[in-house]
Amino acid sequence: MMAQAVNQPMSQTAMRGKLNSAELNAGQRLAVKYFSVAIILFGAQILFGLLAGLQYLMPEFLYNVLDFNVNRMVHINAMIVWMLYGFIGSVYWLVEDESGTELVGAKLANLAFWVLTAAVTVVVIVYLLVQTGPGEQKSLWLINEGREYIEAPRWADFGIVAVVLVFFYNVAATFMKGRWSGISGVLVLDLIALAGLYLAGMFYSPNISMDQYWWWWVIHMWVEATWEVLVGCIMAWGLIKTLGARRKIVTTWLYIEVALMFGSGILGLGHHYFWIGTPEYWLSIGGFFSALEPIPLVAMVVHAVYDSGVHRFKNSNHPALAWLIAHAFGNFFGAGVWGFMHTLPQINLYTHGTQWSASHGHLAFFGAYATINIAMFYIAIQKWRGDVFMGAGIRHAWRWKWALALLNIGVVGMTVALLVSGYEQSFVERALQGSTWAGYFEAQRGEWFVQGMFWRQIFGYVTAAGTLLLVWDLITIGKGETRPAEKPTEHQAQAQAA
Amino acid sequence: MTDPVEAQQIMLATMAGALVVMFGAIYAALFAWSRLRKRPAWMPAAYLAYLCLAVATIVLARSLHLSGFWSTVVFVMLFGYLLAPHAIWHLCVGTHESAHKTADTDSRNPLNGGQTNE
Repeated sequence: MMAQAVNQPMSQTAMRGKLNSAELNAGQRLAVKYFSVAIILFGAQILFGLLAGLQYLMPEFLYNVLDFNVNRMVHINAMIVWMLYGFIGSVYWLVEDESGTELVGAKLANLAFWVLTAAVTVVVIVYLLVQTGPGEQKSLWLINEGREYIEAPRWADFGIVAVVLVFFYNVAATFMKGRWSGISGVLVLDLIALAGLYLAGMFYSPNISMDQYWWWWVIHMWVEATWEVLVGCIMAWGLIKTLGARRKIVTTWLYIEVALMFGSGILGLGHHYFWIGTPEYWLSIGGFFSALEPIPLVAMVVHAVYDSGVHRFKNSNHPALAWLIAHAFGNFFGAGVWGFMHTLPQINLYTHGTQWSASHGHLAFFGAYATINIAMFYIAIQKWRGDVFMGAGIRHAWRWKWALALLNIGVVGMTVALLVSGYEQSFVERALQGSTWAGYFEAQRGEWFVQGMFWRQIFGYVTAAGTLLLVWDLITIGKGETRPAEKPTEHQAQAQAA
Repeated sequence: MTDPVEAQQIMLATMAGALVVMFGAIYAALFAWSRLRKRPAWMPAAYLAYLCLAVATIVLARSLHLSGFWSTVVFVMLFGYLLAPHAIWHLCVGTHESAHKTADTDSRNPLNGGQTNE
């Protein structure tokens, strides 16, 4: 025993700077798999986004080979799925650490990963190869369900729910076997909602208003409720690990944020019900609760300023913390500013479904979700490389800094460019031409629209360059590094506060 | 409530909406910064940001043709945004103080085996 205790630090030192899966627990080894697929899908999202963007500028490009509707569908579906992979991976990464016990049902979890990955691969192949032909019951089950953003055929829907239930079992059973905390309690309850809400997207109704009514439950409630809470849990755990923030404070704030987010976000759903044929009272409900949605963000601003003063941002993983900060700003601007800009019905009448929505979507999804997943990738790679030093003065730091800069500049540039195009659509197509078919085309021929699309494409290339650099950095960061990470502790945080 | 904004005012209304959230955040940040660093001189800047928030809100409300009940809602919400940073600040101080007190108590309590994460 003594020899083991003495040898362990030596072996740890020898392995530092190399990828060492033996140092990871079962949940973390599984998380690495999820993160790897997430990065591949992130690449697919960028690639198909570039193709779809190019088709706005050159409509003949890949016509009848890889049509715009397919590129756009793969672009958006890849985004949703890579984010889900990132979230699931993040939860598997933290579950053993947070519960203090081994992952329950690790074999089942591994099986679920391979089933999900195989299903995603088949769905993407079908998206790319089989998208023309008659729309009938068989095509709903095997090819495309037809609901925007969640086009996966019905067989895949059942698979997704089954995999999420396995995920729920792994996480809940592990916490039940180990110890509970505020973070784990919120997380487990949120996973029930995550799996349950997806069922709302599986109803079938020939009435398009009813269909859209339930479909928005998945889209809105996932993105503006359950995902936000899931990210809140990951962020809470990430702040404890990177800044040494006090658990009790983080947990208390998690409860406050969850209450504020659910309080405003659930009925904020109404802003999607303005124009789908639902009763008129949704205009008032949606408008009112959408106006409340920035409150959690204002709360975050006060708390972030308070905490930055207390902790002074001393941390053990600079890239991860930088991406957590990018998350705070991105969430505020993407979801808060860009969301509130056009969420009230008097304005949304002109803007919904134009590039204005795409502008908001790009910044909000990147700011609120992509950033935190990338932060988790950096937390994971630090541990996988043997808990190496990733603070100030790390070798090749320019890579992660430039990846951060290029990705943020690229996405912000696309957001602004899309806003220009969206404004022209709102003005010409909606306000002047009254949403006519002729107005739709006239707006898309307009000079401002075309210029906006051109600059969106340029900034798309910047984003792609940032993604390549990010992948290169994730593969190489910490390689050959022999210095150990300085772990922040609550005690250190207390000392800093003093 | 639902008369659409005039075509000429789409830009004005959307920018006012964006500025409501921006000035709300600037007000909150300056307020918190002033309290944190104990620099009361920053507080007028915070309230100036709030004033800008109020102006942006009124411009937004006018361009959206809000009147009657909805005007009252706007003023109640504006008042709420004035108080929100104060309330959140008290929560920050309260949660941090309570956490430190708990930590002190835990460190003195020999029965605390650290079995839970709380």
